[in-house]
Amino acid sequence: MKLQDVDVAVIGAGPAGMAAAIKAKEAGAENVVIMERAEELGGLLHQCVHNGFGLLYFNQDLTGPEYGHRFIEKVMDTGVKPLLETMVVRLTEDRQIGAVNIREGYITFKPKSIVLAMGCRERSRGALNIPGTRPAGVLTAGTAQRYVNVEGFVPGKKIVILGSGDIGMIMARRLTLEGAHVEAVVEILPYIGGLIRNEVQCLHDFEIPLFLEHTVTRIHGEERVRAVTIAKVDGRRNPIAGTERTIACDTLLLSVGLIPENELSVMAGIRLDPVTGGALVDEMRQTTVSGVFAGGNVLHVHDLVDNVSWESELAGESAAKFALEEKPQKQGEISIKAGTNIRYIVPQTISGQRDVTLYMRVTEPEEMVRIKVGDIMTKGIRAVKPSEMLKIELPAETLKKLKDGTKEIIVDCEKRGGK
Amino acid sequence: MSQIETEVLIVGGGIAGTAIARELSRYKVDATLVEKGVDFGQGITKCSSTMMCQGSNTLEFRSEYHNSRLVWAGMPLMAPLCQELNIPLKRIGSLELIKNQAGMRRPEKMIRRFNEYRGKYIPPEVEPIQLIDRETLRSWEPNLNKQFIGALYDPNIAVNDPVRLTIALAENARQNGVNILLETEVLGISAGIDTFDVQTNNGSIRCRYIINAAGEYIGKLAQMANADDFALYPVKSYQAVLDKKIGGLINHMVFTTENGMVSPTIHGNLFFGISPGTQRLGKAHDHSTDQKLADAAMKHAQELVPDVSAKDIINSFVGFIVFRNFEIGWHECTVGVSRWVPRFINASIGFPGICAAPAVAKEMVEILTKNGLRLEENPEFNPYREAMPDFSELSDEEKKKLIAQDPRYGHVVCRCETVTEGEIVEAVKRGARTLDGVKFRCRPGMGRCQGGFCGPRVTKILARELGVPETEVTKKGGESRNLIYKSKELLEAQQ
Ligand SMILES: Cc1cc2nc3c(=O)[nH]c(=O)nc-3n(C[C@H](O)[C@H](O)[C@H](O)COP(=O)(O)OP(=O)(O)OC[C@H]3O[C@@H](n4cnc5c(N)ncnc54)[C@H](O)[C@@H]3O)c2cc1C
Repeated sequence: MKLQDVDVAVIGAGPAGMAAAIKAKEAGAENVVIMERAEELGGLLHQCVHNGFGLLYFNQDLTGPEYGHRFIEKVMDTGVKPLLETMVVRLTEDRQIGAVNIREGYITFKPKSIVLAMGCRERSRGALNIPGTRPAGVLTAGTAQRYVNVEGFVPGKKIVILGSGDIGMIMARRLTLEGAHVEAVVEILPYIGGLIRNEVQCLHDFEIPLFLEHTVTRIHGEERVRAVTIAKVDGRRNPIAGTERTIACDTLLLSVGLIPENELSVMAGIRLDPVTGGALVDEMRQTTVSGVFAGGNVLHVHDLVDNVSWESELAGESAAKFALEEKPQKQGEISIKAGTNIRYIVPQTISGQRDVTLYMRVTEPEEMVRIKVGDIMTKGIRAVKPSEMLKIELPAETLKKLKDGTKEIIVDCEKRGGK
Repeated sequence: MSQIETEVLIVGGGIAGTAIARELSRYKVDATLVEKGVDFGQGITKCSSTMMCQGSNTLEFRSEYHNSRLVWAGMPLMAPLCQELNIPLKRIGSLELIKNQAGMRRPEKMIRRFNEYRGKYIPPEVEPIQLIDRETLRSWEPNLNKQFIGALYDPNIAVNDPVRLTIALAENARQNGVNILLETEVLGISAGIDTFDVQTNNGSIRCRYIINAAGEYIGKLAQMANADDFALYPVKSYQAVLDKKIGGLINHMVFTTENGMVSPTIHGNLFFGISPGTQRLGKAHDHSTDQKLADAAMKHAQELVPDVSAKDIINSFVGFIVFRNFEIGWHECTVGVSRWVPRFINASIGFPGICAAPAVAKEMVEILTKNGLRLEENPEFNPYREAMPDFSELSDEEKKKLIAQDPRYGHVVCRCETVTEGEIVEAVKRGARTLDGVKFRCRPGMGRCQGGFCGPRVTKILARELGVPETEVTKKGGESRNLIYKSKELLEAQQ
């Protein structure tokens, strides 16, 4: 296949990229390439050696690499062409891709359509601006995960973890199993940031102390971390004087959130949603630049890989259709707006013509709620948490109830039976 | 333990020490530079802002100030120096913002002084400073707080990367024959009749002249030789770097005396900090940041550029500025022979010191000559240093060519700053020994993810190039290893 003949180019070969590429091929696109900067397909799945993958998609409890391998095989079987060790460094508004790799050097080409699947990165210490010194031994949980699971190193012996995101909790367990001692997991919110199952299986089962409504207020140590000071926070998340305690440790892991990796999207002039940090998309996962689609964590941070795969399949299928010029696709007409206690919703616009699934997150945890989609649908849910993504199916039938000329639908999450 | 003899010993591998070393390498002189750290420019220099050719705010001080004169003298020297050393320097100009009519007095005074000093201390190449009105200000800097009624514009201000400059000076000095010893800390000095005997952790050094360019530790070093005829006050100052994505918010360095400054950097980020002198706090050598300072700096920065926000900070740090006694003029530097110990020369270059460094180096030649050192020109002196390749700055064609020559340039290791394996290997070849050493030479880990992605990869390449296990790779020397154990090592130890 010549690069000049590419129908669909997928950027990133994590679970999102692989699902998109496979689906694009299945939907009839002839020449599909998947571009990945690493040496192999799979993205972050390789370092996620724990289980919990595929419960929804395959109805099976798989590890990250197992989940990945099913897709890698399919990429190979379907004839998607992987371009490995290839880093895309440029993307333009008219869909020109510029990339470098060791073999061909600097390559440029213009596929008929593109799927963005670059995933996300972790928030770093700088973003938190934690006061104190700047020693070695402060790293993000994902970087530590790579060291432990892929490179074969353990960063330290006495560990404090700031943030209770899933990777942080999983690393608490992993490092304990490696013989390190996790002194504390410190979370600024009154509830954990990751999934309940990880709190139970990774923290409680290993008796790792969890400090809710606490934060790290200082890092100590000149060359290597020597200790951290933590303190309780008030309702506005400010440390309360007098509650400080210092914990001796040699490592501080940060699990304080993920940020969609959208440098290329910005370069191409794609408009982003300030809340998700990902592109604004319609129900086909098309961005504001025609012919460029997006799926997975580059669009919004998911908690389950299964949803990443499904969402990206949609993006892949749409990209194939666009490449085959089956129907001219344009951004939907109706915008979906986050209302009461909703932090964000993807997609941000819909056409109102097809079935859609709304992916959303709440702002605050709440029990006994009702999700209201404009005045066309309501759905009761027992409990909602910011860490667990909600999926609301909106069949085309239901959408027919919309009044003609509807420009906007507001989605609210209200407490049932109360005010 | 070795025993070295040298004519001139320079202590300190910051901007002062390396600029002096490079200047001396123009002459046939046996000079040695010792630096206690693993790399150059990791002291005050690392913490400094990126402002070069600072000038107009020096006018606040009278012409008797040695520091002011050095800064002015250094101004026309900086651009050619950067050119010879092949590192970028970008003129951006500065705007000292004016809040109200009463605020006009200061810039007017500065312009008067500028005209008065021009041709005397201020070299003729320096462009005049001028007042600009509200409309011009608005059109030049649309994202600035609207309250300002005008500004004092100094077109001379430029930015570069002070650590790169320091490393380049050291490379060039070494290339021209200066003996450079890293990880060599001066621990004691005894003065003889015409020599000094200097103890270090790596053996002893006998020399005739000592140049004390120990930055923050200048007092400590002077004390070792009983040459501490000055009192210094460390002033803690805070700086933060912002994400490149808001790098375009402003075009000039903008500042007020109370707000500190916000400025573009040479790498396309924005940078802000509380200006020195406003924060007379901090224990000497305590390099920790604290929340109060950080909050204050942010508040000040937002008063200048409202769209600056804490969520865009990618890195922050503090630095110490070593000032003279506040009574005699806090802004003054200490460059000259000790009044008490002959041939012991102090070079505390003060603030702004990076700008002053080229002039300090030239002055050092005069001081040494006046104090009996015969300096003969070195006919082999080569002022040029080959540039570090910077992949991200190359055109498509140049990229292709470079990868064809060395495929390692096709392997992007740091995605935020687009740094390739080829550049990292070159950095190691040129002397990087630590993760910070690589980072300051070619920037992997300087971007918004702060090494989250490239950290493991750079560690691997560095270990391979240095021929050590990854567990011995450090961030900045000493005990700063990032990875302490191999897999299973802890478990085995427990059994
Ligand atoms: C926040 C901040 C902002 C600034 N902004 C600017 C600016 O915009 N423009 C400008 O021109 N200037 C600026 N400055 C000032 C400038 O950074 C300093 O003047 C300059 O970096 C000082 O360089 P130095 O070589 O004297 O010190 P250092 O860079 O500290 O070098 C001294 C070296 O000596 C070594 N050393 C110490 N003791 C020993 C020993 N016993 N044996 C061996 N080695 C030893 C240290 O390890 C160190 O590497 C700023 C400073 C700060 C702190």
